[in-house]
Amino acid sequence: MTSTNILQVSHLCVDLYTTRAALRPVDDVSYEVAAGETLAIVGESGSGKTVLNFAPLGLMPTGVVTDLSGSILFDGQQLVGLSEPALRRIRGGKIGTIFQDPMSALNPALRIGRQIAEVAELHLGMTSSQAEARALDLLKLVRMSDPEARLRQYPHELSGGLRQRAMIAIAIAAEPKLLIADEPTTALDVTVQAQIIGLLKDLQRRLNTAIVLITHDMGVVASIAARVAVMYAGRLAEYGSVEEVLLTPRHPYTSGLIAALPSVDDAPGSPFRGLPGTPPVLGAPLPGCAFAPRCPQVIDICARRYPPLAGGAGTAAVACHVVNARQSKEQAHA
Amino acid sequence: MREAGDLLRVENLVTRFKSVERGKWVTAVDDVSIRLAPGEMVGLVGESGCGKSTLGRSIVGLERPQSGRILLDGVDLSSLRGRELREKRRAIQYVFQDPYASLNDRQTIGETLTEALIIIGVKDREAQRRRIHTLLDQVGLPDALAERYPRELSGGQRQRVAIARSLAVEPRVLICDEPVSALDLSIRAQVMNLFLTLHKDLGVACLFIAHDLALVRQATSRTYVMYLGKIVEDASSAELYARPSHPYTQALLGSIPSADPRVEAHREPPPIFGDIPSPTNPPSGCRFRTRCPRAMEVCASHPPARLALAPDHHASCVIAAELYAHSHPAPHRLPMPA
Repeated sequence: MTSTNILQVSHLCVDLYTTRAALRPVDDVSYEVAAGETLAIVGESGSGKTVLNFAPLGLMPTGVVTDLSGSILFDGQQLVGLSEPALRRIRGGKIGTIFQDPMSALNPALRIGRQIAEVAELHLGMTSSQAEARALDLLKLVRMSDPEARLRQYPHELSGGLRQRAMIAIAIAAEPKLLIADEPTTALDVTVQAQIIGLLKDLQRRLNTAIVLITHDMGVVASIAARVAVMYAGRLAEYGSVEEVLLTPRHPYTSGLIAALPSVDDAPGSPFRGLPGTPPVLGAPLPGCAFAPRCPQVIDICARRYPPLAGGAGTAAVACHVVNARQSKEQAHA
Repeated sequence: MREAGDLLRVENLVTRFKSVERGKWVTAVDDVSIRLAPGEMVGLVGESGCGKSTLGRSIVGLERPQSGRILLDGVDLSSLRGRELREKRRAIQYVFQDPYASLNDRQTIGETLTEALIIIGVKDREAQRRRIHTLLDQVGLPDALAERYPRELSGGQRQRVAIARSLAVEPRVLICDEPVSALDLSIRAQVMNLFLTLHKDLGVACLFIAHDLALVRQATSRTYVMYLGKIVEDASSAELYARPSHPYTQALLGSIPSADPRVEAHREPPPIFGDIPSPTNPPSGCRFRTRCPRAMEVCASHPPARLALAPDHHASCVIAAELYAHSHPAPHRLPMPA
């Protein structure tokens, strides 16, 4: 499998230093994505899912010092320690990005056509007229109605769904091998969300692009991803195929999240199922399991030692002392 | 129908805004009528831009309606002025979507709540303290939080404070505008359960404005579906989800992805086109016709009448009766969308 992996992240840690604090939002995370495959990274706000994807690309707020350790092999190239000019060639080139809020990610003062053409000029070395033609093709590819007119429009003239389509057109302008989509449908309505997910799946089939989709919506995960990584407090809690993780979740956090989804079997007026407590506030790395204070299955060791991510064949890998101890006992019996 | 006993009635309400285009108007709420019985939990769902928040804001007086009536206990609020209006309107309180923006950064939680208490005339310090204790207790927050500032609180805690503040004036109706959509998944259930408890213990009626259909189905007994300024369908929540009879409601329910990958692998998205049109220039006739898979010629010429499909189920669509006859329970479980 390794040879077809377009992205291989191993033991990645991200440390952020601001003038006030030192944080580790990503701690020892490993995963891989094959060409043409979709990996969903699921987590709540503050779980580190966005930093995990954007810190290695140098997309962090100014005034924050980012320190990466571990390894990120993308298309045979090591991204950790890469210089800013080298990163700039990759960003928007071999790696396209889609952000959550298209209104703040698009340039309000440039026409849509120009913003798409810019990418083609920069990364594909096209002339401006070639790039404009490519922009038109791309707008057709993302199934935008009346593409000739859209080229000349500004972002504020477009609806939310059309803006997100424009953003996708920019992201795929340089034919990236990997597309990182950070909550691409969260700001959209549910009927528009269905259209955008359909579009991403269709583009992936045609261009064989790998997609890393950052989301907190299990429905979106089920509809597009092949594999899922569940993050909690900067670490992977569970990692496996979409069927394994969504249908037979093993980590207490994942099973709690999935059990909390309202179902048609719940009577109107019946209480909602949820998780007790609140997610931890980002800070120094914890010695134990970050989920322990909210966990229904917590045992002594959970607070003292961090559970490593482990799993057997045919099941998702989980970082949980209780689940993994149970599994090794079952294997010993068998 | 408990028409006589309705706590809140909104009749033919129209709220419009001046458009950026000179001389044009945006009719955000167009001839909307809804009702709320005492202690009832009612949902109002629709996509962004459909006017659901404007309707809520018009009810509490944050927007001035162009025409129509808002009746509380049978009294038309627009017939009242000054002190009388303020006192009557106090029975309706609003819970905003974003607890990061709705609380004053420079006031402690205690000060925020005290302000509400002073408005209803609780001036005695000791009485204020006791009431704040009760309020914080009702929303499940420790007493010590009264000394804290909003920035020290998590999103879930802030939303609880916002709820406590609206409860301080002993309202009979809460208008909750997307009260949990700014909160994390694992926290949502906690705040939703708080609403259910308050409803049970205090008998507060709630108008629950949300785009999250699964949430509304479980929390409310009746639901209104709004599209581009109009109510297109209303029914008991169980019936609405089991037998949606307006093409828009069907598309809305059909667009929610299931959390089951086996269901998703075989599911075709509903045939709904494009985005919600601009309310500056809504389509003629039925407003949904530009996105409707079943649109016919007649849809462009006449706005559809509101048809009664069952005693408590109405839909504004020319083929509503046919859709009702053929509707069947939703094919999959509803997950909690973003």
